Amino acid sequence: MAFFDALKERAVLTINQVFDKGNDSGLSKAQLFCIEHRIPDDETVIDELAAEVGVYSEYNKDAYKEKMGVSQGRIFLTQRFLIFSDAYDKRNCSFTIHLSTIKKVERVPTTDYAFALAIGTHSRIKLSFFLVGMRSESEKFAHNLKLALRANLKNIAKLQPFIQTCYSEYLLAKNKVSSEKVDEIPSGGLGLEFKFPGNAKELRDKSKMKLWFDLFKADGRNLSIVKTPMFHRLVRVGLPNRLRGEIWELCCGSMYLRLENVGLYQQLLDENKEKNSLAIEEIEKDLNRSLPEYAAYQSPEGIERLRNVLTAYSWKNPEVGYCQAMNIVTAALLIYMSEEQAFWCLHMICDRIVPGYYSKTMYGTLLDQRVFESLVQDTMPMLWEHITKYDIQLSVVSLPWFLSLFLSSMPLVYAFRILDVFFLQGPKTLFQVALAILKLNGEELLKVEDDGSFISLIKDYFHSLEQSAHPNSPNQKYRTITKFQELLVTAFKEFSIINEAVLNKHRVKHRNTIFLNISTFVKRTELRNLPKVKNIDQPTLGNIYDRYYSIVESNVTVGSGSSVMDFEGFRIFMSQICTWVNENDDNPFLRRLMNHWDSEGQKALTLSDLVVGLNKLIEPDLMEAMSNFFSLYDDKKNGKLDREHILQVSEDLLYITTPWKDAWELDRITEDAIENAIADEIVKRKAEKGEKSGDIEISSEIEIDKPKLENQQIERYLSAASTFIQRAFEYAQPEEEEALIKELAVDNKISHNAALDPSTPTYLNLPTFRMVVLADETYELLFSNTLRNSIRPEKPLDEKFDTMRNLKDMFDGLLADGRKVANKVRKRMDSAASSAINNQNQSLNHQSESSSLKSGKSKIQEEDEERDDDFGVISIDEKDKDLLLGAESHVVINTPDQATAVPKTQSSASTSTTKDGEKQPDGNLIEFET
Amino acid sequence: MELKSYDKYRMSFAPPTTSVKLVLLGEAAVGKSSLVLRFVSNDFQENKEPTIGAAFLTQKCTIGERTIKYEIWDTAGQERFASLAPMYYRNAQAALVVYDITKPASFIKARHWVKELHEQASKDITIALVGNKHDLVEDDNDGDDSSLRKVSIEEGQKLADEEGLLFFETSAKTAYNVNEVFVGIGSKIPEAPLLKPQQPQATDGRIDLSTGTAPAADGCAC
Repeated sequence: MAFFDALKERAVLTINQVFDKGNDSGLSKAQLFCIEHRIPDDETVIDELAAEVGVYSEYNKDAYKEKMGVSQGRIFLTQRFLIFSDAYDKRNCSFTIHLSTIKKVERVPTTDYAFALAIGTHSRIKLSFFLVGMRSESEKFAHNLKLALRANLKNIAKLQPFIQTCYSEYLLAKNKVSSEKVDEIPSGGLGLEFKFPGNAKELRDKSKMKLWFDLFKADGRNLSIVKTPMFHRLVRVGLPNRLRGEIWELCCGSMYLRLENVGLYQQLLDENKEKNSLAIEEIEKDLNRSLPEYAAYQSPEGIERLRNVLTAYSWKNPEVGYCQAMNIVTAALLIYMSEEQAFWCLHMICDRIVPGYYSKTMYGTLLDQRVFESLVQDTMPMLWEHITKYDIQLSVVSLPWFLSLFLSSMPLVYAFRILDVFFLQGPKTLFQVALAILKLNGEELLKVEDDGSFISLIKDYFHSLEQSAHPNSPNQKYRTITKFQELLVTAFKEFSIINEAVLNKHRVKHRNTIFLNISTFVKRTELRNLPKVKNIDQPTLGNIYDRYYSIVESNVTVGSGSSVMDFEGFRIFMSQICTWVNENDDNPFLRRLMNHWDSEGQKALTLSDLVVGLNKLIEPDLMEAMSNFFSLYDDKKNGKLDREHILQVSEDLLYITTPWKDAWELDRITEDAIENAIADEIVKRKAEKGEKSGDIEISSEIEIDKPKLENQQIERYLSAASTFIQRAFEYAQPEEEEALIKELAVDNKISHNAALDPSTPTYLNLPTFRMVVLADETYELLFSNTLRNSIRPEKPLDEKFDTMRNLKDMFDGLLADGRKVANKVRKRMDSAASSAINNQNQSLNHQSESSSLKSGKSKIQEEDEERDDDFGVISIDEKDKDLLLGAESHVVINTPDQATAVPKTQSSASTSTTKDGEKQPDGNLIEFET
Repeated sequence: MELKSYDKYRMSFAPPTTSVKLVLLGEAAVGKSSLVLRFVSNDFQENKEPTIGAAFLTQKCTIGERTIKYEIWDTAGQERFASLAPMYYRNAQAALVVYDITKPASFIKARHWVKELHEQASKDITIALVGNKHDLVEDDNDGDDSSLRKVSIEEGQKLADEEGLLFFETSAKTAYNVNEVFVGIGSKIPEAPLLKPQQPQATDGRIDLSTGTAPAADGCAC
């Protein structure tokens, strides 16, 4: 149950988030900026300007000027970063430099129109900015930069310890090209101890290392690196083992989180050391099942690191907790990263790069699978048609690709190469590679006719990735191209059109369907897990569910982690289904109901609480209904109500009966009276006309004195209330003298005084309560019928209640009345049955010709049903009203079975005006049209 | 029910092969994939990686005169993957709902799966309830309090009786009772659709046992 609450909550939250945001991606502009530049979410742009940037270092003075010259783009200043991105192609030049690494800022002497700054970083690269634009703006930017640098001074202390954890710094220090002192090898991945996957020589690890070494010298490193085309190229050819972890965290931006939150990882582990959770149980199940072939995961050390990172993340983000596949991803990260690095990197993957992939509803996964299918459809229509024709489940192969980032599908060395690009370029990488896989196997796939062959074909392909893509080519150069290289080229060249914008467009298109599917599933599961209730059927439960979440949803604040209904929500809920509750009532009775139903004492109701409570409230059995009501007040659970509680019961009864007390609802006694009045009138007229038998036509001119009947009802309710309190105290008994019950009941004079004397505590027990209620026909009817029928949990959410209420007054009650009237008339008529049957046939024929669907419906309701069973009739559109009346213009009533009559009330004014007692003349009429 | 073209060809000479779509459901780490691995490859693997999403395997099984080709959809067990399950059990003719006899929670989960299948899957789906990891309790003596067993045979049988399921206790590790599950399922799969394909009209892949989903296309080119 708890799980599904959370599941539901997550879906609701997500839907809220989606609908709250205006733009396509569902993210604000500020969020998009942070994502694009991989910086933490709390950064905001302080200032920005167009700029030309040149990069210089003592190692590239000549080379660079020649190669790239200056790059034109836009420079941004945030609280902790100086960010630049080339206007034409981000890959030409971009950087995200942490302010802590800036050692020096100078104004460069320039000509009048230009404004230039030179910035020196700890990595000894020098950046020059020519700020483009009005001089005043440039001045302002320089000033803001100065302020930001000053504000950042407090962070500089973090820099030294941090660079000790970066392998790039160690590499440079060891080769004496850095002023930093890094003596020890920074802690890194399990690969350092258990060997990295693949053959280092074949992977040309050493040469790659040398290239990165040169790049670091020229373009800076970690927190102050400038990403040049070379950077992108080096990522593409595959990262060297020892640098892989650091470049990953640099590319995805988890490095900045790690810097910002030094120590948080250890703190999470320490704080939650002794705790247990569902996530932890789930993690434990999978620890031995994560890349089990890799040596480190056959050792306690590897398992321990995996446990730590997964556990820490489950505490960091309990909404996600743990999802299978995270174990595989984390196990892979830990080969190249320290625990802390892997933790922040995992955090980045789950929360930002592929949000919703691992969430409790996995909405991100489901959505992206749908997006993937539609991309296949767009880019490879023939293949798509084939897959559809043979009903092949594409997702059975593709879902694991996305969820475990190819790590469980491809040989690890290749999966890591894809991961290299994934961290640099984001989630589109997954789509590009996935599409390329299908494309490259397209011809073969078109021959496949079932899931099994489809899967094994792809499996074989993955195991042949090291083979030549063109083994029979005469050209030696082509022969050396492996299938994996071919895959990357296809993915990143041919499918470069699949970018974030395309993905977002598709995501927006399919989002609603996916959420609908999820919510349907969640609803089904949650309904199934509700306790069994006898008075509420399945469709009604569905409506209660919808209404509950329509209210709870609007109350859930983002991230509150609660999907229970507070009093506010409960009041709204009840006002929508009960005639006697107004949305603004802060009524003690509602509070009492809520407290009583709140099974977990959390001052809020779960769906299950609500269902169980409603089930009791609409109990059809009179005795049980009274006993349920009694127990609401039996706070001490001793079967006795004291003076205070008796008063409370009486007040609440007064509150509940408001609609009838004020006569804007009619109870059955009044209905009966109206019917009798009409029946009497009809019989009288028939007698006048001398008719002895034949059609019972309910004439439109029949008038009854409705105000009088309403007044009778009002008086009846007021009298019931006062009688109740009077009798309750009369029959209440002192605690010690239970033996006297019978006596007291007979001789009320004796008990009368004693009960009203506050110094003598007296109590009302259940049998006495029942007796008091049953002694009054109005209250007896309240518990046997009126109360139950005033609560309509079966009402669908999308129906407007106010309209319902009016329509109910106009049609529902009177439809039933008409039928009953007919019965009554019939009883009064001493007519021959045979002639009635003849006429009945005629009337049936007539009806089927002229009737609408609605009139047919009222005919179906043959039996003398309860009013709530006529519910379906209420939902008649205003505009269909005349249709209904017209169709019934010749209603003929003969036998109870076919009896039907549609009354027409002149206007709804009759109901609204009666409330304040001022009655309009035509509101008093109840006419039956003929 | 799908009939491949070669099946149709074979039909006139040999006993026909029926394809049966079978789905495995149950809590994480109860041994669903291991049961499949045992049935398909007669193998067992400690520390098998968890199934991500679903896995698909096929295996033939001969029962008397009939040959049944199982198309097995092995699903991920973790609760949050449950929302993917409908994708895999749609049109399934058979299901194994698996629990771990040493884990009471997995038995509760099995109950839920049975309900879900009764409500959502094909009406005439054949379901077997399977209590796995019997190897962990096979040395048990009667009345041994230290037993790892947490779900009794009686409880399993009771649920199976109530819901009209086949019931087995198995061990994927020792191969105990594993084949029996698939044979049991096979013998309960109605034979009727098997005979129909001999009438040309019925061989267009529309012998649809499902409820309302698109008919599975197959290789039968009639």
